[in-house]
Amino acid sequence: MSIAELPSLPVTAPLFQRISATKKVEVVRELSALLGARYVLHTPYDLMLYEYDASIDRSTPDMVVLPATTEEVAEIVKIAARHNVPVVPRGAGTGLSGGAIPVYGGIVITFARMNRILEVDYDNLRAVVQPGLVNLHLSNALNPQGFYYVPDPSSQRSCTIGGNVGENAGGPHTLIYGVTTNHVLGLEIVTPEGNVVQIGGWTCDTPGYDLTGLLIGSEGTLCIVTKIIVRIVHLSESVKTMVAVFDTMDDASNTVSEIIASGVIPAAIEMMDQMILQAVEADTHAGYPMDAAAVLLMEAEGLQEDVAEQVKKIESICFKHQARAVRIAANETERQLFWAGRKNAFGAVGRISPEFYVQDGVVPRTRLPYVLRRVGEICDSYGLRVGNVFHAGDGNLHPLILFDSQIPGEVERVRKAGHEILVVCAEVGGTITGEHGVGIEKQEEMALIFSDVDLRVMQQVREAWNPHQLFNPGKLFPMPGRCADIKQL
Amino acid sequence: MAELQAFATNLGQFTPAMQIISDPDELRNCTVEGLLPRVTVIPETVEQVGQVVALANQQGLTLLTRGGGSRINLGGIPEQFDILLETTRLIRLLEHEAPDLTCHIEAGLTLAALQAQLATKGQRLALDPPDAQQATLGGIVASNASGPKRLRYGTARDMVIGLHVVQASGDIARSGGRVVKNVAGYDLNKLYIGSLGTLGIIVEANFKLQPLPANEHTLILTFSSAADAMQTVIAILGSLLTPSAIELIDPRAANDMTDFFGLNLPTNGYTLAVNFEGSSTAIDRQIDETRLLARKNSALLSDDLTGKAQDQFWDVAREHTQGSVTCKAVVLVSQIATYLQVIEETCRHYELDSAVVAHAGNGILYIELRPSDATPRLVEAIAELRLHAQGARGSLVVERCPIDLKRRIDVWGEPGADFYLMQRLKQQFDPKGTFVKGRFVGGL
Repeated sequence: MSIAELPSLPVTAPLFQRISATKKVEVVRELSALLGARYVLHTPYDLMLYEYDASIDRSTPDMVVLPATTEEVAEIVKIAARHNVPVVPRGAGTGLSGGAIPVYGGIVITFARMNRILEVDYDNLRAVVQPGLVNLHLSNALNPQGFYYVPDPSSQRSCTIGGNVGENAGGPHTLIYGVTTNHVLGLEIVTPEGNVVQIGGWTCDTPGYDLTGLLIGSEGTLCIVTKIIVRIVHLSESVKTMVAVFDTMDDASNTVSEIIASGVIPAAIEMMDQMILQAVEADTHAGYPMDAAAVLLMEAEGLQEDVAEQVKKIESICFKHQARAVRIAANETERQLFWAGRKNAFGAVGRISPEFYVQDGVVPRTRLPYVLRRVGEICDSYGLRVGNVFHAGDGNLHPLILFDSQIPGEVERVRKAGHEILVVCAEVGGTITGEHGVGIEKQEEMALIFSDVDLRVMQQVREAWNPHQLFNPGKLFPMPGRCADIKQL
Repeated sequence: MAELQAFATNLGQFTPAMQIISDPDELRNCTVEGLLPRVTVIPETVEQVGQVVALANQQGLTLLTRGGGSRINLGGIPEQFDILLETTRLIRLLEHEAPDLTCHIEAGLTLAALQAQLATKGQRLALDPPDAQQATLGGIVASNASGPKRLRYGTARDMVIGLHVVQASGDIARSGGRVVKNVAGYDLNKLYIGSLGTLGIIVEANFKLQPLPANEHTLILTFSSAADAMQTVIAILGSLLTPSAIELIDPRAANDMTDFFGLNLPTNGYTLAVNFEGSSTAIDRQIDETRLLARKNSALLSDDLTGKAQDQFWDVAREHTQGSVTCKAVVLVSQIATYLQVIEETCRHYELDSAVVAHAGNGILYIELRPSDATPRLVEAIAELRLHAQGARGSLVVERCPIDLKRRIDVWGEPGADFYLMQRLKQQFDPKGTFVKGRFVGGL
């Protein structure tokens, strides 16, 4: 899914120069002495895998390191600081905004060896994990005892909790339970000076500024996380998953607004439009109707009494808005099938288009009908096909714009359409990213929702903690002009 | 004083309508920890707040912000400050987007006033700190105030989706926005929440709201020991049940509540109050199951509260977190029973009395220590209690105490190893120290 070109922007002096071959040899030697040669990758063949994530940009690191301990991470950072080589932390590389792309090369730290669950305390409902732990592996470990970890990005089978912290990841079930930041109480971090610092803790209301809250979602630009203390919760007694089928997008969006306004907050409300349905059905055979304009996938969770009541209410709202049919999963197998369709949607789209580009705007839920119409119009005007599969309950849109980079000029049209969609989101009081992050992708769009003052104030934080941008340089904020050496590899 | 003269003159020119109090007699009502401001200003608009701060910053004056004043004594004693800025005229509900379950308010609006307006559309802000009549939303956010229902709904950090904050320069910066999900840029909302006005003045806020529950019911249980009560709490937390609040009240606190407020709580044991909200069928079942769990853990009595009696009970429980000397200790939930013993022993040793009300499901204990004038003994007892709280992976903050005691202790406790990171933030956000220092952790 990569766009092979980048737009030409005015060039200013880059924050970092690519390191020279001689310096690289020296840094590799130091890192190898620290970690052992097998945990320091530096040949073009080994590095290629780390030049991209799930976004549209790419840039090759000079070295990739695989530390096993916090102390090793701290030492890596000190070596990097001494040689003035930028450091970029990387989870599983599933990020959609370029957060793990080493814009100026340098050292990528990958946490594949720091992937353990260190502690689980069921009395106090806490778990302590290393950043490289795969999201789903935590819930899998907790399930037998009847517990789980709530945030569930669609990539949860591969994405890491460290990456989730970096991006403040969400997922379908965050509608009622909140996103990553609502489930993390404490962190162990390594600062750009190489200090190991404990932030927050096991208990709540730690005196002082809420640094945990500030660091979550800072996209690797302030610190490197080496340990995470999370809240765990009991599995629900009853889960009912339902699919409602609509003949118009407007009916489906109005249904979402009314469900929220009625005071029912289901665990998840996901929407898929016709294009996505057709792709998903061809791929997963979940039983979605291919001729429908839109489908809502909804889940009610909790005590069986509450769930029964919610399902009834949701059903009646769906029918009030001309739902053609409402189907409730009869059993766990069917429920998993419904969700498989949704969670594999991005992959399924790969069957009908060589490439696609996902946007991540958020709008007030009441503006969904208008914004979805505008998304359609914008893509039409560029002659592009678009599908929508998204967290409707949060107003978090994910338009998938299909394209083929072999067609001259198509990539540029995709970028423009994506930008226009975000302009619409901003105009109706929304935001440019709900869960994918800013990274490289949306640096310029930050100016759509934040004033110069707003942005300056945010940058004070980076100035306070990472003034030389040793960590993940050149991200998050609009750049005076992007450096030229990205992509020259 | 020349700076102050210039300040007042300039301010008068810029914004003639703004109320400025400089009469020494009137200022006596504006003291904070015995300190008299040189001038009090009460802006009518957020822009005026910006102008006041900009002028103060230019003239090198210091400023302290006050909302309704319910938590004005939280924190250390401030350094002498020049200007007291009151937000109490910024009281507009700018927008209640009911179908979106969000609202946008000015910071001086009180919680009670907001709830009354939201209730007309069947909604509420799920924050329940004490003093809803007096406490402003800006103050609640700036001091991270919360109440028993944080167990289910969380705290300000789980509900604030956007803030407008006047910076030390006087510029107004926005963070977050008005949608419920947003990861654009640093999450500065989290930084401002609980920062006690040391980084900026919150002038507007956007919140995520909740529908009002259809029903509410409180189960009152009594246990002969704290250990039994806490076993029950741990069993509830690890079960399917979804209580909105779990409050533990020790015998002396129960006694206070009975004496002063006419509640009829058993005073010979530990009271556990478990609050449920939602549909009546689900509540009924949860009450039954909670009773069963309680019985397994040797509960002695149980009683039900609904309606007015229930409201009164929770009002009184909330108010009990605000005594003359109130320590907020946070420990692991599994350590609460042990910690209650530590409190007993420590008080016995220092010849003090204690009364405790705890948000038991969150590990938060509000410990009232008496007598409030036993300063030297209180100093030692607090130090000991803090040490034990830290040993249970927690902390202890003295939220309220007489000024004599405050002079002798650090109400927040020693800052941790992350303090230098906080200092650097303060330095970046407020390099000239316009927002008066001394109140926050480590004197920030």
